[in-house]
Amino acid sequence: MPVEVPVEKWAGKVNEVTLGGNGRKSIVIGGETTLPFLKIDGAMPHRPAIAVEVDDVMPADWSPHLIAAWGDALKDPAVWAKKAAEYGADIIVLTLDSAHPERGNTGAAEAKKTVEKVLAAVDLPVIIIGPDVAEKDNEVLIAASSVGRGQRLALGNCVDKNYRSVAAACIADGHVAIAKTPIDINLAKQLNILICDIGLAPDAILMDPTTGGLGYGIEYTYSVMERLRLAALIGDKMTSMPMICDVGEESWRQKEARATSGVPATWGDHQERALAWEGITGVSLLNSGADIVVLQHPRTIALIKDAISKLMA
Amino acid sequence: MSRFIATSAIRGAHAVIADAEATLKDALQKMGPETPVAFTSTSYFLPVIFGFTGQKITKLGDMPAALQNARSLLPPVPRDNLWLPYLGETLDAGVATLFAEEIIEGIRFAKGQQPEQYNGHKLNGPIDDVQMRSWGIQMVDGRMPGFAAIVGAAKSNEVAVEIVRQLQSRGQLVFLCSQSNGRSIIDQLRESGVDLGYDTFTVTFGTDTYSAVYALGYATRAALSFGNVAAGDIRKILLYNKFRCFAFVLALGQVDDVKYATAAGAINYGFPVIADTVIPNILPSGVTRYAHVVSLPFDDLPGKDDIEKAQRLVQSCVEIRGIKIKIAQVPIPVAYGPAFEGEVVRRENLRIEYGGKGSMCFELLTTKNLDEVEDGKITVVGPEIDAVPDGAKVPLGIVIEVAGRKMQTDFEPVLERQIHHFINGAEGIQHIGQRDIAWLRFSKSAVNKGFRLKHLGDILHANYHNHFGAIVDKVQITLYSDPEKVKQLMEKARPIYSERNIRTAGLTDEAVDTFYSCSLCQSFAPTHICVINPERVGLCGAYNWLDCRASYEINPTGPNKPVAKGRVIDAAKGEWEGVNKFVYETTQMKTDRFTLYSIMDQPMTTCGCCECVMALLPECNGFMLVSRDDYGMTPCGMTFTTLMGTVGGGLQTPGMMGVGKYYLLSKKFISAEGGIRRVVWMSKNLKESMEEELKAVCEREGVPDLLDKIGDGSVATTVEDLLPFLEKKGHPALTMAPLI
Repeated sequence: MPVEVPVEKWAGKVNEVTLGGNGRKSIVIGGETTLPFLKIDGAMPHRPAIAVEVDDVMPADWSPHLIAAWGDALKDPAVWAKKAAEYGADIIVLTLDSAHPERGNTGAAEAKKTVEKVLAAVDLPVIIIGPDVAEKDNEVLIAASSVGRGQRLALGNCVDKNYRSVAAACIADGHVAIAKTPIDINLAKQLNILICDIGLAPDAILMDPTTGGLGYGIEYTYSVMERLRLAALIGDKMTSMPMICDVGEESWRQKEARATSGVPATWGDHQERALAWEGITGVSLLNSGADIVVLQHPRTIALIKDAISKLMA
Repeated sequence: MSRFIATSAIRGAHAVIADAEATLKDALQKMGPETPVAFTSTSYFLPVIFGFTGQKITKLGDMPAALQNARSLLPPVPRDNLWLPYLGETLDAGVATLFAEEIIEGIRFAKGQQPEQYNGHKLNGPIDDVQMRSWGIQMVDGRMPGFAAIVGAAKSNEVAVEIVRQLQSRGQLVFLCSQSNGRSIIDQLRESGVDLGYDTFTVTFGTDTYSAVYALGYATRAALSFGNVAAGDIRKILLYNKFRCFAFVLALGQVDDVKYATAAGAINYGFPVIADTVIPNILPSGVTRYAHVVSLPFDDLPGKDDIEKAQRLVQSCVEIRGIKIKIAQVPIPVAYGPAFEGEVVRRENLRIEYGGKGSMCFELLTTKNLDEVEDGKITVVGPEIDAVPDGAKVPLGIVIEVAGRKMQTDFEPVLERQIHHFINGAEGIQHIGQRDIAWLRFSKSAVNKGFRLKHLGDILHANYHNHFGAIVDKVQITLYSDPEKVKQLMEKARPIYSERNIRTAGLTDEAVDTFYSCSLCQSFAPTHICVINPERVGLCGAYNWLDCRASYEINPTGPNKPVAKGRVIDAAKGEWEGVNKFVYETTQMKTDRFTLYSIMDQPMTTCGCCECVMALLPECNGFMLVSRDDYGMTPCGMTFTTLMGTVGGGLQTPGMMGVGKYYLLSKKFISAEGGIRRVVWMSKNLKESMEEELKAVCEREGVPDLLDKIGDGSVATTVEDLLPFLEKKGHPALTMAPLI
């Protein structure tokens, strides 16, 4: 008996956002007309991208497994970025963590230097993330923006407190803004509206809906992302921005990825457990609509790459 | 449009173009058409001409075409007997003037005469692209509202300095050019030792009026870089500046024809012109957001001396351009933030209290005209805290007067209700109640840190600007601690409160054509939408129609949007075409019809935060109503929580819905089914806490003894027990038309 597969016809489409170009490798993000990997209903013209985190200072609180995997590369963001490219990163995420008032409080001048160095070291598209303090974000991101003028970087995070400055820098220098909101569909949409209202084109916005690691609110995250994506497919232009998720950071800071002692034997080998945490978080978020996953461990890069290939096949 | 201004501007435009033509002719002859032309480090060519036409002028030979263009825009000078409105022509003349001025400056650059050398100093001339972009970011993110282009010279050096200081303190860029009676403000500032340059937000353009075109070149480039606009798309460039760049022209001293002509060019960008001399006014809005040309003769300005007059002049400029004020930090000696909102000041730590039992305290917010309010003015009438012994109880009146172009009297209660929330943010200060039952307690630690009555004013002033800047332009606060005054003013406030009550009560659905939506709860109930009408509060009870309307004015991209009612489909059930359309679009197409007065036919959806849930009791031919704080069993066999699980989450469930408790008092309360007569059971606590109001409603509906006939948890928690009670009492629902 022939079974008729019910096909959903969506009216909307996720925006296509280009990163890089102008001498740098470029990549197109988004463009889906269907739910993730569901090719019956529509198309997924671009593979989700793998971005790898590179910090401008040696991370102080990273797991020994991450430190062992990257080795001395952690001491120099340019070397680190090169290595990440070798491991298969599609995009480099440079975090200007040293600008945090409690972790160095570096300023615009240092940010410029670091960004220049990393841009020179790799030809991949680059995302620059500030230290997550609105005032400092403005300072270093605007500096980074002018250094990378014309290279279509993505700058983040644009939050409700500082979105104007970051968005303005993106308009002036031709970059993409990352709009970050705390796991809430309304807030995500509102921030997109506000950024567009300033004059940044909708295809120059990525959204970070804020994600939780496996076991730490991933189901809530999943549902918010899924609904953002459903709204986009129904045709809501202000939720049609591709999504970026910080998988590595959220996974590696959880207890299951960190605890080495005093845990039940059934939790198994520490490193394998931690890698599984990052891998499963990543695959889950890909399935809820992530267009870029930011990873930390080299082995997860390979794992997720393989998963994407299989899901896309 | 003033005939005088139009004539002067057009005459000025003719003169500038003639000058440009002669200068260009001479330059072409002497230097040849291939001579390069470029402003300081810019990739926008001659930016005004580039913005308006897309033409890229790089050499003298490119100029004749642009100048011809300017000439073609030029209207004839009005004859004495011509009395038509001249606005369009004057604006065209202004644009022609800007083109001609830019060409003259371009030629001067080619000749090496720009930036200008003046009195042994090199003036800045046009702003380079790098600086434009850096300031542009600040303009977009709101740190810098815009610029003031100052043309001419101030009354004295002191006045010039004060004007610039006032502008700097507001983050406004200051562009300086031209002169008046042989003096330039550039001279005045330099003689007074004022540091001029990019670092101090002051830019010297030139000592003639032509150099004012650099201000508009800057504005044009800002729009091209930040407005997503292409060169030549002039409409967008001008609108961008009108709505985003809060700039204005301040003409100091006599205004001649060339200044009028250049000012006409600036008005195209939506930049108003303010003069400190007697010139005609052009007050209606249009090309500019508010007035176009305003004359504020310096000596007639209020103020005890020239310095105060200068301050007033800048304040007026800021108002005319509609620049909003933001206050980054509430200037009080104690910590301020949401963390202190729930704080209680206990007796041991009580320094002083205002109001409360046996004393008086009231708060009143009213609207005044813009010229009746002095922004930031805080006055204490009566003794300050220092004059009052420990633990004393003192009367207080908080009188807030606001003014704003978008302020409406309907917003007064909405704003007034915020006092509680604002004042409670201060550490060590507790605020309870509202209107004439307000009560404040100040802790010893707060007063020891220096907190005084006047700081209440600072808190309110900062917060009204920061949270309600969209509707409030100016705020002044008076704090009365003088008992006689408080008594007197409280008596005056009371009729205002009751008038507001009456007005709110009198707001009907029929009287408005717009309802408001609330999508706040969509974060957890994505297919739920509230449509809030004047006669029905949101089901959470937190938002009424007025709140939503104010919220929309303040934050148009927020959760409350206007919903046009559209054509009536069913007046009795409260169904409108516009509402249905809106509901369909905002519930992810899950709900396509909505009635506002019926619970049986397509009732409103319910989220998860309703104050009460109503449910049909078929055996009783009526409805029960259970409130959130009633934990007991109800006659439908479910507790509030279980009911919530059935009805919530964005579902439309005929026979069940969530409501705000004040909806019970509305004439539109399930009016399609017969209103309050259909209520057969309600939570006891609700019945008791709203007894007075409910009695009044029963009386209004012609069933004065109804409340006694409605069952509650003490009478019945099952239908089997409830029905005999209703029969015994003769509840009207039993004899009404069957619901099913």
